Amino acid sequence: MRLLRSPALLGLATIAAVAGLMELLVAWGALPSYIFVRPSAVLLSIVGLFRDEELGWRLLQTLGATMAAAGLAAVSGVPIGWMIHRYRLFGEIFGNWLAALAAAPFILLYPLFLAVFGRGEPTIIAMAYVAALVAISLKTREGLASVPTVLRAVGAGFRLTQMQFFWKIEFRSAVPAIFSGIHLALVFALVNVVGIEFLIDYGGMGGLIADLADRYEVPSMYAAILFVVLVSVLFFWATERLERWLNPM
Amino acid sequence: MPMRAMPMAVSIACVLATANAALANDTVRVASAQKGFWDTTILLYGDSAGIFKAEGLDLEITWTSGGAAPEQAVISGSVDLAAANGILGAVTAYAKGAPVRIVAAEATGVNDLFWYAKAESGLKSFSELAGKTVGFSSPGSSSNMVALALIEKAGVNAKPVPTGGAPATLTQVMSGQIDVGWAVPPLFFDLIDQGTLRIVGRGLDIPEMRDQTVRVFETNTDTLKNRRQVLVRFFRAYQKVLDWAYSEPKALEDFAADNKVSIDQARRARDEFYPKAALELAPVSNLDLTVKQAIDLKRLSAPLTPEQVKELIDIVYDPRRDK
Amino acid sequence: MAQSHVSSAPARRSVRAQRLTALVAFIAYWVVWELMARAGIFYEGVVPSSVAILRALYHILLDAALYRNFAVTAFEVLVAMAIGGGAGIAFGLLGGAVRVIGRAYEPYVYYLAPTPKIVFLPIVFLLFGVGVATKIVLGAISAFFPMAIATLAGVRTVKPVLLRVGHSFNLTPWQMALKIYLPALRAPVVTGLKLAFGFALIGVMLAEIKLSNIGLGFMAIEFYNHFQIAELYALLMLIFMVAAGVNALIDRLMPRD
Repeated sequence: MRLLRSPALLGLATIAAVAGLMELLVAWGALPSYIFVRPSAVLLSIVGLFRDEELGWRLLQTLGATMAAAGLAAVSGVPIGWMIHRYRLFGEIFGNWLAALAAAPFILLYPLFLAVFGRGEPTIIAMAYVAALVAISLKTREGLASVPTVLRAVGAGFRLTQMQFFWKIEFRSAVPAIFSGIHLALVFALVNVVGIEFLIDYGGMGGLIADLADRYEVPSMYAAILFVVLVSVLFFWATERLERWLNPM
Repeated sequence: MPMRAMPMAVSIACVLATANAALANDTVRVASAQKGFWDTTILLYGDSAGIFKAEGLDLEITWTSGGAAPEQAVISGSVDLAAANGILGAVTAYAKGAPVRIVAAEATGVNDLFWYAKAESGLKSFSELAGKTVGFSSPGSSSNMVALALIEKAGVNAKPVPTGGAPATLTQVMSGQIDVGWAVPPLFFDLIDQGTLRIVGRGLDIPEMRDQTVRVFETNTDTLKNRRQVLVRFFRAYQKVLDWAYSEPKALEDFAADNKVSIDQARRARDEFYPKAALELAPVSNLDLTVKQAIDLKRLSAPLTPEQVKELIDIVYDPRRDK
Repeated sequence: MAQSHVSSAPARRSVRAQRLTALVAFIAYWVVWELMARAGIFYEGVVPSSVAILRALYHILLDAALYRNFAVTAFEVLVAMAIGGGAGIAFGLLGGAVRVIGRAYEPYVYYLAPTPKIVFLPIVFLLFGVGVATKIVLGAISAFFPMAIATLAGVRTVKPVLLRVGHSFNLTPWQMALKIYLPALRAPVVTGLKLAFGFALIGVMLAEIKLSNIGLGFMAIEFYNHFQIAELYALLMLIFMVAAGVNALIDRLMPRD
């Protein structure tokens, strides 16, 4: 009953129960050990990954590619979002394409990127950049377009110049949306980086999973997947916290 | 139909159904890598020629892009046989407790593999590849093993890079993304003959690998236990496919058509790079070298014991012994 | 009357101007593409001309293999959506209706949603092998999260008065789900369906690309492996158009308020 009163405890207890059940079933041989792995072996393997598979370096590789892609997207996406908002012609030319890209299964284009950029970091960063760019430029446009009418009236009332209006009213109103876009850009960049690394068997955490699968290192493979999930969860949580800290409203 | 005829009709139907079941062919599910190569695709040509059907077998072939996919398919039990699987992968999986066994050799020696560079690069041999990138298909494959051996023999600091299939590798070489690509014949013979590409190394350049079995047929222990006779029939038929492919022109014609090359180029590929002896089903040779390579690549931590070797390799059909 | 005439004329010009802009933009994109294709910056064939792509599209459309592969992928995506989407709706309904369950498990769903699901492929492959099951399972896992999140969010917006009506009629939980929750959740479920479709398509096709011998993903990677880049562009264009069409169809399910 105490579990039911504490949802957090209930969630944790469920995970512990599932892990415990797996541990017993694999230990008893009820589940084949060449496919299923004891959770305790998986956790221990994470240590081995740092020692034998340079997981630390691979983590840096993945995060480095993510930051590069998201950084490039932020630097180019905010101005693009502004131009789509500010200049109707620009918006009509590029805005619809960006919206279409946002809805399309973009990652399926990776063979094309492979053909153009080759099997390596450029492809990984290029694909992650495009995914992040779409998120941040659309969010910037959304933010700039939703300046409250009363603030526009205030700006007109004070006879602000265009530059003053932009910096003092428009941009400041759009900041929450821009930060939300940066959050999304970081998340999309990480997802695409890990996904492409896995698909092309190249470096980083995604490439490690593919490599371990190829070598039939099953416990280490599970450990690497678990590690990627944990990093992804932490990354998402951290970027969410960052967004809230930058935008307390 | 009159009521009293019903029991008779039902009985006849049951007998026919049972007879049909008895006459029905056995299905063998095979996962194979690199469709289009001579040694992997004669399976398909032989199936089209009805050789497997004559043994009462229907084949279901799943083509993969190589790597560990055929092996994992066998481990999961979704196929009966992994064909053309890198022996390094087979030994590694077995050592780690996977329920797999090697039941036949698929390719011995590495005659078929060659490495090439753009002629304009000026590269002529592996000794000139210091600081260059050298492609191979995927980790644990025979091309991986040979590329490493060629680099070690040349004593250069070249970087081996997994590049996937041979056609994709060509793209990467031609666009400058890697320096040296791998291939098997008759791929790119036209570019070599035209002088656009130049061969810089061959599997034949590694004498110690000439008698090493590099690719094998692998099965799951359950399949080996429950369907051993089906596997025996499969390999008996496969031996007939080998005999047919090296004596009759049809396989060569299909091979030439699939690869869009002339019959002469196809024959040159087969006779120069795939001697029949290299594709014999037994024995699995020079396992010691394979185990050493596995330890060097950190896929194994210790050599296999004689008992493990005996357990791992179970040749179900040896044409020298069985008929 | 004069006022309405004045107000509609600028609207008509605006629509005409937008269409003209779109046309000019399309032509500009096309010109830039052709210049890139013919400039020799990239290795021959890596950026094929639009003529080559259209020719390839024509041949693909005449090839029976396209329809065979399409049928397989469509089947896998539909089953994946049925399983993953269905599980997502069930989780959303349960989590929304029973607060403690929602609060216990929603954080896991929310934080696991952005994880790249393709990394689960090696495990799924070991479990389910080379057949369609692997593709369906990966597609289902991908579809589950957006549907669960959309349904959970939607359940919280169901008007309490509707729930009280259901309780007052002593409806069973199953009847509550069918007669109260689902009709009220049409909009969020349709939104979730669009996202689930997109993710299921990606999950299925990536699994086909990585290991399969049939399906649109397999067809795409075969084109790449054999350096048939124009065909690859043409096929991806087709897939994107089909995806957009399905999204438009799903949009029609939206309630017209």
